[in-house]
Amino acid sequence: MRLVRLALLVTLLLALVAVGTSVESQTPQASQTPKSGGVLNVMQREDLAQGFSIHETATISTVWPSMPCFNNLVLFDPLKPVESMDTVVPELAEKWSWQDNYRNLVFFLRKDVKWHDGRPFTSKDVKYTFDTVRVAKDAPAKLRINPRKDWYANVVGIEAPDPYTVIFHLKRPQPSLLMMLASGYSPVYPAHVPSAEFRTRCVGTGPFKVKEWKKGEYIEYARNTDYWAKGRPYLDGLKYVVIPERGTRTAALQAGRLDVAFPGETSKATAEQLKAAVPKMVITEVGANVNDNLLLNTRKPPFDNVKVRRAFSLAIDRRAYVKAVHQGGAVVGASMQPRPFGFWGLSEKDLNQLPGYGKPSDDKAQAKKLLAEAGFTATRPLRVEVKTRAIAIYIDFSSFVINELKQVGVEATLTQIETAQWHPLATRRDFLVGTNLTGLGVDDPDGNFYENYACGSPRNYTDYCDEQVMKMVDQQSQELDRKKRMALVSEIQKRLEQDGARPMMGWRLDYFARWPYVKNLVPHHNIYNYGRMQNVWLDK
Amino acid sequence: MSVVIFMLLRLAPGNIVDILFAAGGYVSESDKLAIMKELGIDRPIWVQYIDWLREIMTGDLGKSYRYDLPAWQIIKPLIPVTVELAILSTVISILLGVPTGVVSAVRQDTALDYALRVFSLAGLSMPSFWLGMVIILALVSWLGWIPPVTLVSPREDFRIHAIQFLLPALAVGYRSSALLMRITRSAVLEVMREDYIRTAWAKGQSGRIVIWRHALQNAILPVVTVIGIEFAFLIGGLVVTETVFNLPGVARFLVQAILWRDYPVVQNLVMFIAVVVILSNLFVDMLYGWLDPRVRYGD
Repeated sequence: MRLVRLALLVTLLLALVAVGTSVESQTPQASQTPKSGGVLNVMQREDLAQGFSIHETATISTVWPSMPCFNNLVLFDPLKPVESMDTVVPELAEKWSWQDNYRNLVFFLRKDVKWHDGRPFTSKDVKYTFDTVRVAKDAPAKLRINPRKDWYANVVGIEAPDPYTVIFHLKRPQPSLLMMLASGYSPVYPAHVPSAEFRTRCVGTGPFKVKEWKKGEYIEYARNTDYWAKGRPYLDGLKYVVIPERGTRTAALQAGRLDVAFPGETSKATAEQLKAAVPKMVITEVGANVNDNLLLNTRKPPFDNVKVRRAFSLAIDRRAYVKAVHQGGAVVGASMQPRPFGFWGLSEKDLNQLPGYGKPSDDKAQAKKLLAEAGFTATRPLRVEVKTRAIAIYIDFSSFVINELKQVGVEATLTQIETAQWHPLATRRDFLVGTNLTGLGVDDPDGNFYENYACGSPRNYTDYCDEQVMKMVDQQSQELDRKKRMALVSEIQKRLEQDGARPMMGWRLDYFARWPYVKNLVPHHNIYNYGRMQNVWLDK
Repeated sequence: MSVVIFMLLRLAPGNIVDILFAAGGYVSESDKLAIMKELGIDRPIWVQYIDWLREIMTGDLGKSYRYDLPAWQIIKPLIPVTVELAILSTVISILLGVPTGVVSAVRQDTALDYALRVFSLAGLSMPSFWLGMVIILALVSWLGWIPPVTLVSPREDFRIHAIQFLLPALAVGYRSSALLMRITRSAVLEVMREDYIRTAWAKGQSGRIVIWRHALQNAILPVVTVIGIEFAFLIGGLVVTETVFNLPGVARFLVQAILWRDYPVVQNLVMFIAVVVILSNLFVDMLYGWLDPRVRYGD
C-alpha cells in the first residue's frame, strides 16, 4: 500500500513538474531574471537592400537587421505586442511634452548617449535627421531615396534651442506624429556621418555595434559596451544569417541553427509543420500590418465609374479569399488593420455592410446588376488584364480574383510583371487592374491615409481622390479626442470601401516562431517595429 | 563574347535604380535620373561597354552598384567556394560513375547490369536541387540536424567544413555520375568488341589487365570529354544547389546580382564562368594527347 502511495506521489510530482514546465513558456517573460551572454542567431531572408540606411528603404529586410544599431527618440514598448499611443516609451528622448494645443512637440534628450564612434549625441543630430527626411528648405543632406517624406508633411520646422532639447513645430495639431516617430522606420542618424555611408557601415547609438557584414552571408553585431541603458543589452551579440531559400530557412530554424524566425515570414501552414516537428517551438500569432489590396485605376475607364469599382469589390468574397489564399492565416478588414491586432479596424458589424463581406450570392448578383448598369452584359462582357508581380504570393492572390470576377461575367486575364518593373509601372499608373501588397510602418490612420489614399500621393496608385474624404482625413488627423477620431476613421474606411478606392482583400497574420530559450522577444502586431533586441536574453 | 554578356544584361527590363525604388515602394523620376547619373548608367550603352573593357584591361572590375564596393572584393571570396564544390562533385561523379560504368559493361545484361542502369537512370531523373532539398529535409526530420548555415572554414573546423561540402557534392555528383556511368558503359562496350581486346583475352591476360588497361584506356576519351563539360557546367550551374545548402558561391550570388541588375558584378562573374569553360575545354584537349598517344597535336 505504501508503495502504491509512493508511486502515486511520484506520479503527482512528475505531473506537477510537467505542468510547471509547460506553463513556464506561457509565463510573461519579463517576470524572469534575465541572464547575460550568448549570441542570438536570427533568420534573414535576403541581404540588406540599402545597407543599414533605414531612411532610404521601405522593406523589412533592411529594418529588421538594422534596428539594433540605432535608437529612436521614442519607440513602441518592445515588450507589448499591441502598438498605440499608450505603448510609446522613451528612447533617446527621456520625456516629451505637447505644447500650444498639439502644435509643438518638445523632446528632452538623454545626456549620457554616445555614438558608436565615441562622439556625443545631441539635439543637432535629431534636427539633422528629420530635416533631411522631411526635405526641409535648409536640409543639410539629401537621401537618395526618401519613402517617408510625407510622414512629416505637417512639420514646418525643427528647432534645437540647446544640445538636449528639440522642438518639432507643426502646421496644425497632429498627435499621431509621436506614433510615426516611434516606428522602426524613424531612427536618429548622426549629423557627423554622411547619410550615404549607411549603405556600407553603421554608426548608431543602439545597443549593438556592427562587427561584420559579410555580403550575401551574414550581418554580425557585438554588444555596445558603452550603451546608455545600463545593464543592456543582455546578449553578447547577434548574427543575422542570410538564407534566400525558404525551405532551408525553415529547416535551419527547426534544427536549431537559428533561434528566431524572420518577421512576417511564417505562414500558418509552416507554423503547424514546425510545431508538429518541434512541439516546444513557441509560435505567436500576430498581425503583420500588411494587407492584400486590389488596385483599380480610377483615372481610366471603366474604373472612373464608381459602379464598376463597386461591382468588382462586390464580386470578390473576402472570407473565401482568406480561407483559400491564406488557408486561414489572414483576417478580413477594411483599410486599417482589424482588431485585436490593430487599434483602428472596423467592427464585424460595420464590415458586414460593406461590398464583398455579405452573402456571396447576393453580392455577386448585385455586382452583375451594377456592371449591367455600366453597360457590361453577358453579350458585351468587360475584358480586363490583371497585372501583378511575378511572385507566387501575388499570383495566388490574382488567380483567386480572376476566378471570382469570372463568376460575375468579367473576362480577366493575368499578366505577370517582373519585380524590377512593378513600381515604375504602378507609379506610371500603367494598369487597369492590379493586385498589390501594402505594408504599413505604423498602425495609425495618418501613416496610412496620407500615403495610400491622399490626392497626389505617389503611392496612391489608384489615383483615388475625393475632396470630402480628404477633409475627413485632415479632420481625424488633428482630432484630440480619441473616440471622435475613431468615429471619423471608421467613416473614412467605410467610404473608401464603398467607393472601391482600393478594395481590401485581407490582412496577413504572422506566426512568429522562436525557440523557448529566447526570452523577451515579443512580436508586435506590426513587423517593422520590434527589432531593437536590447531586452532579449537567452535562457540557456 | 564580351558584347553578348554586356548586351544580354541590358536587354532585361529595368535597372538597379528601379530595384532600389521598389525597396522604397515608390518612384521619383528626377531622383531616378540623378542616381542613374551617379552610377554612370545614363550614358550611351557603347560608352559604358568601352569603359568596361578598358577597366578589365587595367584589372579594375568596377564597383558593385548594390554594395558600393569594388566588384572584385565581392567576387573574390565566392570563387573558392564554387570551385571546391565543383571539384568535389566531379571527384564523386568519377568515383561513382566510371567504375559502375565499366562493371555494367563487363557484366552486360546481367542482374547487376540492370541494377546499375536503374541506379544511373534514377540519378539522371532526379534534379540535383530536388535531391539536395530531400537530403536537407531528411536530415532535419530524422536527426533534427543540418550542417551549419554559414560557411565554416577548414582551419576553423575541418570536419564540419567537409560535411558542408560533401552533402551538396553528393547531390550534384550523383546526377553527374549517372551520365558518366552511361557514357563509360557504352564506350567500354564498343571497345570490348575490338580485335585487340579479343587478342588480349586470347593471349591469356588477366581480366583486370584487359578491362582496366586495354579497354578502359581506349574508351576513356569520350568519358574525359563529358567530365570536362560537366565541370565547366558546374562552375555556373550550381545555382540551386548552392541556394538549398546556403553556400556562398558564385552561382547563388550571380542570381542575386542579376535580380538587382548589379551589372559590374554580373558581367564579371559571367566572364569568369566563360573563362573557366574555355580553360577546362583546353585542359581536356591537352589531356587527349596524354591519354591517347595516337592524338598528336601539331604533327
